[in-house]
Amino acid sequence: MSEAGAIGLQWAWLAPAACIGAFGALALPALLRRNLPRSGVLLAVGAIGFSFVLFWFLLNSLLNGAQRDFTVSWFDAGGDAFDLGLTIDPVAMVMMGVITFVSLLVQIYSLGYMRGESRLAWYFAVHSLFAASMLGLVLTNSLLVLYVGWELVGICSYLLIGFWYERRSAAEAAKKAFITTRIGDVGLLVGILLLYYKLDTFHIPTILSEVQAGALSDGVMTLSAILIFLGAMGKSAQFPLHVWLPDAMEGPTPVSALIHAATMVVAGVYFVARMLPLFEAAPAVSELVIAIGLVTAVMGATMALTSNDLKRVLAYSTVSQIGFMILALGHGALAAAMFHLATHALFKALLFLGAGNVLHAIGEHSDVDIRRLGGLRARMPVTSVVFIIAALALSGIPPLSGFWSKDEILQAIWNNGNPATLVITIVAFFLSALYMTRLVWLVFFGKLKPENQSAHEAPAVMTGPIALLGVLTLVFGFTAPDWLDNVLSLPGEATGFASFVLDKADSFHEHVVLAAISSVVALAGIAFGLALYRHDLKLPEGVDRALAPVRTLASNKYYLDDAYQWAIDRVVLATGAATAWFDRYVVNDTGVDGSGKITALTSRVLRRHQTGQVSNYILVISAGALIFVVAITLAA
Amino acid sequence: MIAIEYYLVLGAALFAVGVYGVLVRRNAVLILMSIELMLQAVNINLLAFSTYLIPRGDTEQHLGFIFAIFVITIAAAEVGLALGIVLRIYRNRSSVNVDELNRMKW
Repeated sequence: MSEAGAIGLQWAWLAPAACIGAFGALALPALLRRNLPRSGVLLAVGAIGFSFVLFWFLLNSLLNGAQRDFTVSWFDAGGDAFDLGLTIDPVAMVMMGVITFVSLLVQIYSLGYMRGESRLAWYFAVHSLFAASMLGLVLTNSLLVLYVGWELVGICSYLLIGFWYERRSAAEAAKKAFITTRIGDVGLLVGILLLYYKLDTFHIPTILSEVQAGALSDGVMTLSAILIFLGAMGKSAQFPLHVWLPDAMEGPTPVSALIHAATMVVAGVYFVARMLPLFEAAPAVSELVIAIGLVTAVMGATMALTSNDLKRVLAYSTVSQIGFMILALGHGALAAAMFHLATHALFKALLFLGAGNVLHAIGEHSDVDIRRLGGLRARMPVTSVVFIIAALALSGIPPLSGFWSKDEILQAIWNNGNPATLVITIVAFFLSALYMTRLVWLVFFGKLKPENQSAHEAPAVMTGPIALLGVLTLVFGFTAPDWLDNVLSLPGEATGFASFVLDKADSFHEHVVLAAISSVVALAGIAFGLALYRHDLKLPEGVDRALAPVRTLASNKYYLDDAYQWAIDRVVLATGAATAWFDRYVVNDTGVDGSGKITALTSRVLRRHQTGQVSNYILVISAGALIFVVAITLAA
Repeated sequence: MIAIEYYLVLGAALFAVGVYGVLVRRNAVLILMSIELMLQAVNINLLAFSTYLIPRGDTEQHLGFIFAIFVITIAAAEVGLALGIVLRIYRNRSSVNVDELNRMKW
């Protein structure tokens, strides 16, 4: 890389702009019920491809130390100025790379997967809108714009989960996802407004420097950090707001890969990473973040282990892996969290797209019980190989990418956390390896079921992207160590991934013992999984009985859905009924109708005096005049 | 010279007769005639006040007379109009009894 290709970082705005343009070009004809030619959807692919190319130029400029913070005035309202702006720092750059790359691959994949779908233009239009709003969300330096992007990606998620809205379950899942994340978003909005109220700015770098300068009281910092984390919990599917993500699997599989594995669900991680100084200034919230991350990681892993639906296993796995990222952020390990975010985006997108290939092979769209799959390895050589690579990466087998990022997280906990957290995390790693082994074994190994005899490998437009992701999953981990700069002689301070993200020389944390432990744990998980599912190992009677309640709990999703359903039925609907009663009988019947009724009643009495007999009126007028005159005379 | 009180009492009596006629008569034509009585009562007052209250030789000496002429003119026009209405009512309803003309109400 050299100076030659350097462009100003302010040109980053072109990326979301191009995607918005593609959205407009595709959505307008779709809404007007005019048909574009089938190839029109290539506009969307072109826009995101352009963004991906732009990403490399911007990365080059960033490494060459270009200016990072840009602001233009948006509008003034009553003396308050609102700005639009960009902050292109390494964290945003990682997100931009992930978003543009995964979006590009997923859109190419969708060309094959969604072939023959009616409303194809609408599908790609929403994909473009999603890419635009996600890019806007990560590149902006204004909390206001970030919130707009945050809500827009929520809308896109809603639209795409419910893409097959003819199916009731898809429509319900879309609603559930939207409402559940909204609960967190309310917290986010209040948190943003609280910061604005106290600091009078939406500009993130200003807010963070004010926080570090101690401009806020402890109470305000704790409160705003909790509120912002609430938004992150909703978006990133953290306990107890994770319930929408498994249901979101009702959407088309490429959507699950892009939005519900690689990009949107990690927006919460990104946002917490962006606001990390605020969280560091509020230690109590960091404890909460650690607790939530840990609970989510373990809970997600156990649910992944007991779920029988192909895509839901992956969804619970996503919940669990994002828990690890949140856990790392709780320990202040920005680089570890962002690194796991990037590696996870690659291998989880791969896993979902691989699952999409499996669904495509057996001619289903979702809801596939993995127990009725099996032996697909022979029929789908490419898919199975890359799927297994991704599964090994997720399990943390060296030297695949997942190993490096999980190792970074372990080291962050080792350095800053307490031993109990470390042990629980290692247990969760073990569970990750176990559930991935279970999934891979049940789907790709064993005997091919008779109903799947016609299964076949996906076309090249679908295997190509996952093969590319597979290669990256193999090699991406090597960006972690420091030796990279010696080989490629990168300019500037940047060496390994951590140094790049932290923007300062920060050597890769080599810790041989931890690396060895995590590798052994991963191998043990895989071995145990093989023993259970390949060799039908029966657990000893006592252990089996001891695990039964946990299994029941996990397979019933810890009864959280039931609890929420109960709460909705008994609390929300009851409150709604009471409010509706009050509105109906007090506000409407008494207040609104009441005033009308009083007028009507009064007039019914008074109108009897209007007889229509003119002489009556004259009598009253004359009497009145007489009384008036007499009164005046007497008074004078 | 006759004192002004005689004129005023005559006017008041004439006016009272007119009011009585308007209130108790049922025939629209008689009501119109009663209204005429009230107007003439007013005229008597105007002439009396004009004669007695304004000194002789004053430029406004005949103001009351002019008013009275106006009242007579207006009364003539009013009666012409009102009789036309009464005639239409009679053509429509074969009656000029005001008790039956009570449609102008709720």
